[in-house]
Amino acid sequence: MMPDFTDHLKPRYDGTATLQAERAGSNIDVDELAHHLLSRDGFLERQKKVVDVLSRDPLFKKDQQMNLSRPERYHLGLARAKAIQRIVRREGWSHEDYKMCEYVNDEMSPYHLHMTMFVTTVREQGSKEQQAYWMPKILNYDIIGCYAQTELGHGSNVRGLETTAKWDPVKKEFEIHSPYLTASKWWNGAMGRTATHAIVVAQLLLPKKGADSEGYESHGVQTFIIQIRDAKTHQPLDGIVVGDIGPKYGYAPMDNGYMLFDHHRVPKLAMLSRYAEVSDETGAFTRLGHPAVVYGSLTFVRGQIIMHARLVLARAVTVAVRYCTIRRQFRDRDSKSDQDEEMKVLDYPTVQIRILPLLATTFALHYTGELMYNMYNKSRETIEKGDFGPLAELHSASSGLKSLCTMLAADGIETCRRAMGGHGFGGGSGLVGINADYLSKPTVEGDNWMITQQVAAHLIKKMTEAVKDPSAPPKDPTTELFQFYLKNRKHRIPQSVVHNSQIDDKAIVDVFQWRAADLSYRAYQARVVEKKPWTKLMIQLHALSRAYSEQILVTTFYNSFSTTTTSTLSGPTPSVLKTCFRLYALYTLDTFASSFTLTNAVSPDSIPALSDAILDLMTELRPHAVKLVDSWSIPDFLLDSALGRSDGKVYEELYDLAHRRNPLNRVTFNPYWRDEEIVLGSGDGGRGILAKL
Amino acid sequence: MAPTPDWVKQLQPSGPQGHELLAAERACSQIPVEKLSELIHTKEVLDRKQRVLNILKSEKVFDKSQNYFAGRIDRFEAALARAKKLTNLRIKHGWTLDEYRTANELISEPGPYGLHDSMFLVTIDGQGTEEQKEKFLTKAEKYEIIGCYAQTELGHGSNVRGLETTATWDSASKSFIMHSPHLTASKWWIGSLGKTANFAAVMAQLIIDGKSYGPHPFIVQIRDLKTHEALEGVHVGDIGPKFGYNTMDNGFLLFNKVKIPHHSMLARFSRVDPQTNKYIRQGSPSLVYGTLTWVRSTIVMQAGSVLARGVTIATRYAAIRRQFQDRDAPEWEKGENAVLNYTMVQIRLLPLLAATFALHFTGKAMMNLYQENQKKMNAANANTESKRGPGPEELGAGSDSLADLHATSCGLKALSSTIAAEGLEVCRRACGGHGYSSFSGIGSWYADYLPTTTWEGDNYMLTQQVARYLLKSARTVISNPSAAATNDTTAILSNYLKRSEIGCAFDVLSNDTDIVQAFAWRTAFLTFEASKHRDEQKKPWNDLLVDFYRLSRAHSQYMVVKNFHEALESREVSSQIDTPTLGILRKLYRLFALHTLEQEGSEFYASGAVTVKQISLARTNAVMKLLKEIRPHAVRLVDSWAFDDWVLDSSLGREDGKVYEDMFYRASELNPLNRITVDPYPTSSVLFKKVEGEVGRSKL
Repeated sequence: MMPDFTDHLKPRYDGTATLQAERAGSNIDVDELAHHLLSRDGFLERQKKVVDVLSRDPLFKKDQQMNLSRPERYHLGLARAKAIQRIVRREGWSHEDYKMCEYVNDEMSPYHLHMTMFVTTVREQGSKEQQAYWMPKILNYDIIGCYAQTELGHGSNVRGLETTAKWDPVKKEFEIHSPYLTASKWWNGAMGRTATHAIVVAQLLLPKKGADSEGYESHGVQTFIIQIRDAKTHQPLDGIVVGDIGPKYGYAPMDNGYMLFDHHRVPKLAMLSRYAEVSDETGAFTRLGHPAVVYGSLTFVRGQIIMHARLVLARAVTVAVRYCTIRRQFRDRDSKSDQDEEMKVLDYPTVQIRILPLLATTFALHYTGELMYNMYNKSRETIEKGDFGPLAELHSASSGLKSLCTMLAADGIETCRRAMGGHGFGGGSGLVGINADYLSKPTVEGDNWMITQQVAAHLIKKMTEAVKDPSAPPKDPTTELFQFYLKNRKHRIPQSVVHNSQIDDKAIVDVFQWRAADLSYRAYQARVVEKKPWTKLMIQLHALSRAYSEQILVTTFYNSFSTTTTSTLSGPTPSVLKTCFRLYALYTLDTFASSFTLTNAVSPDSIPALSDAILDLMTELRPHAVKLVDSWSIPDFLLDSALGRSDGKVYEELYDLAHRRNPLNRVTFNPYWRDEEIVLGSGDGGRGILAKL
Repeated sequence: MAPTPDWVKQLQPSGPQGHELLAAERACSQIPVEKLSELIHTKEVLDRKQRVLNILKSEKVFDKSQNYFAGRIDRFEAALARAKKLTNLRIKHGWTLDEYRTANELISEPGPYGLHDSMFLVTIDGQGTEEQKEKFLTKAEKYEIIGCYAQTELGHGSNVRGLETTATWDSASKSFIMHSPHLTASKWWIGSLGKTANFAAVMAQLIIDGKSYGPHPFIVQIRDLKTHEALEGVHVGDIGPKFGYNTMDNGFLLFNKVKIPHHSMLARFSRVDPQTNKYIRQGSPSLVYGTLTWVRSTIVMQAGSVLARGVTIATRYAAIRRQFQDRDAPEWEKGENAVLNYTMVQIRLLPLLAATFALHFTGKAMMNLYQENQKKMNAANANTESKRGPGPEELGAGSDSLADLHATSCGLKALSSTIAAEGLEVCRRACGGHGYSSFSGIGSWYADYLPTTTWEGDNYMLTQQVARYLLKSARTVISNPSAAATNDTTAILSNYLKRSEIGCAFDVLSNDTDIVQAFAWRTAFLTFEASKHRDEQKKPWNDLLVDFYRLSRAHSQYMVVKNFHEALESREVSSQIDTPTLGILRKLYRLFALHTLEQEGSEFYASGAVTVKQISLARTNAVMKLLKEIRPHAVRLVDSWAFDDWVLDSSLGREDGKVYEDMFYRASELNPLNRITVDPYPTSSVLFKKVEGEVGRSKL
């Protein structure tokens, strides 16, 4: 672009100086805290290494993404996926490094399913021979895979899947078929345009047993590995219709697909047969043990989801905190002097109340994610022998935690985006794409509302046991809590957590635990004693799952002060983290105040004191906000945000994006309605755009 | 890609078909859909919609099928083509303003003429002198010049007084010099400015002889009328892609000492005398606050219908989508349960369904109040106007119904647009996985609606105005407790004071009027609490902002509950609708009110309006019972909002229930990505092997 008079303009307030002053105002040792939070598996060093390489490659420049159409986004996504493979080989990087590439590239790659669900399913469910045949091809990318489970008419309920795999005893083959339109596979990532092979989950149909019986019967769902496209032409094989399902709220670079089969025949070997087999001779179905190991790794996966959720939330909070210290709006209403500058919006309690509790939440999520990792690692060996020990407890809780944490992160992103006013809506906020991409999380892998039922069912069972035998030696913390509750419920005195502006940390833990126990008891009453219908209880059970998960977050955060290295951190850091603990807890308490009072956990009269306590905590936290988000060490490359830049050059970058890097400004339009042409001078009478509709 | 084979074309969804399911839903309720539609929209509006819709559907340029796929530039180009066509049609069919607005509403995407049609014309009309109207308005109305309204800047939004763009009076040349002294002075976010407008109404700090007189409006030409290039010293362009609103060219604008003539400053209320170089104020633009009130009332009314679109889609789809067998269902009962039968889905959707009606009736009541007020004001205009200060918060509270209306509209705008925006996202998530598809029709609608929560006053900022007004009213009531109430706010405040010694006992679970009373009580309680903090304990304003936010929210919720209740008790409603339907509307009223009460339970409890037991009963009994009773009518209730499928543009929300057929059709037939064959292997640098037709050029 030509130079112009705007090249030398500066913002009214210097953002860089503002952030510097913010950083100078807190004694937190950022490096130390960053290592405390992010040293597991060399995360920080790996992040730096990968960002250095990717950010120098023009293919990974992110600033045009939002201008592109859907087909262009896919095009770019595929190009990047291929490039990452080449970089990984060139640099001799590990699988962890590859995962870091995906994380900082920050978009759903068309290869994502290949190295996750596809390879995992073959590894976990394939027989030895099947693994020997497929694994080298997969790891070498000779084939590209996807995972086809959900269908147009079915999501969470796997048993309801409609695609069938019918055993032909004569030819010794399976016939894969889609009997209805709703049987179409749907939403399956990488399947739309990219994959050559798919893991297909289908109902296994075998001939009915007995001499005089006819027809087929279902033996439940099984997994099949099936080639879907030709290795040369990349066209679908005969009898298969497969394509991309079209644009979504987010995930633009991913080709989520649909797929239908017309009596498509596959060999017997297609069925993954580590745990189940169809006999050649008799057509009999045999189960070979249970896939118990999956149970342990599922806990691990959920631990990862929580760790990811904390980083996603940290990213949104980083942008919001930095921008809100630079953005100014209105002079203080109580200010007496006309010379006073406008206030930083982060000094407004109405802004603080939206952002600072979320900042505290990132730490709350962190310690619970850590706990899950540690427990998993400690008990790994016993797990592989099928003994879950203390993990069993955590596993049943993990579905509730996953649900709560992803929801906190998804809602948190949007809260941060709105807290930034108008610019939050702009592409330069960096929260538009992440918002749209992350929003799939609360619904994928089991709708957050649906899976909370598992937690509730588990808690009702536990409470039933505790009621039956209240003095049995407790096996786990939940039973211990329930027994304590049952012993004390008749003479419970509702607590207050703030006395004369002093916050009682032990009381905080107590009221969260009491509320969870009381809601469990009510659920037990309603379901087991009064036999109320399950569907009528769902709302109550959802609230129970949430309360129980919040109890875990609060308890774990509190325990971290004695069980982790938190207290050895230097300067004000330990006490600032304590403030975060209190803020998260009191904010949650205040938000769900009536749930705490109705369960007798907290006395209703103590609720009004919370607002002042929260305001004080936010005032304590405020000076450290910028350094706390700095500690999360989100690189600018990943933030991809004008508002959240670590150097504070907010307005310079917004302007540069709009003025110098905006393709719409390279076109001059004809604005008058009497002229049919749309692009000035095109003289096409508007036919250009019409042809695209 | 190969054409869809016959075996695929013959496939049908499994189980009961969508249209059968919706027919069954409609058969289990007697609600007269057309009658209820007329009650909501009036027959006249419904007819107008149908008439305009038929015209739009017949024009190819309004075809929506590629909207979800296109990139930014194509989206904008199509929007400009549509805006032009619409203007043609307006002339051709001799459309009234209402009909033109209806057309825009049906297309439901922001268009590049949007700001010309609204703020540009309104500003000249409201703030220009007769000569200025003659000069600019005539041309603007014929689209010979195309304008926009340039107020917000890169560094400044809500705080108009902080704007950085300057207009300095040059007494030598008798002209103004427009200038942008900082980068943050750049006009930003201005709709229609980026690529379309050649004129702008620019708000700039007026400076005469080194002294600043605050922001004033100037009509400035920014682009050449022939070449459409920016004029010398003007720097203008589009600000780039956004969360939504990508069919609109929101723009930036900078001036490098651009000289504009004396007549550029809109001079109805203040001007610079070119002879004496003095600033002259003539009357004050208090009518402008009337306009703001009108805009906000419109937002309240639209919020109901905006939300209704999401609720329509989610409700219809929830009636079709089945998931899991009921845990308690007997063995022999095969088949999965419609998700709308799950209380967990009901608790998310049905209170929102109730909110659509609550917001609708509230918006309507506000509109009526506004019109009555305009009449009164116009009558009394000459002698009262000059006594008022410049800001609405300075208006005398208590005695003036405009002040009440203004404050109420601020709070209601914040509450209703928040309910609508958040409600849409709840609807999207309630659709499960398919809600995430663009074809759900909710995502883009949500994205385009979101700015409403920050513009016309940021929802958080606005609440201060409400609080300020309520505090002032509290002072009036405290200083003279025995004076007769002059408006609703003083009435509820003095009622509270009178009864504060004897307490209250509202029967919220069985008496509809008591519910309104309880909401009023809580508002009054919070007002006096705030007044105690600010006026007695002298707490800093800044420390009270969160309390003010809650106070404003409480007051607005009270207004919604009150207006909904009054509407249902009015002759106007009861004469138009049969008794059973009115009964269902009353249930919606109770659901909205009790669900809100239960959510905000601790405030109601703290104020003494209700007991903990009542909150508990509301949650576990009353709300659950209402869900069950409203459930059978859900589909007919959303039907009565009368959205045409063309407007919804949603596979999930189709009136005929052909959800899966339509999802499949859009994915396989309309989807340009399926015309591409890729080379998938990382070892090959070829990306697209084969592309059929035009799909999108390489832009990397």
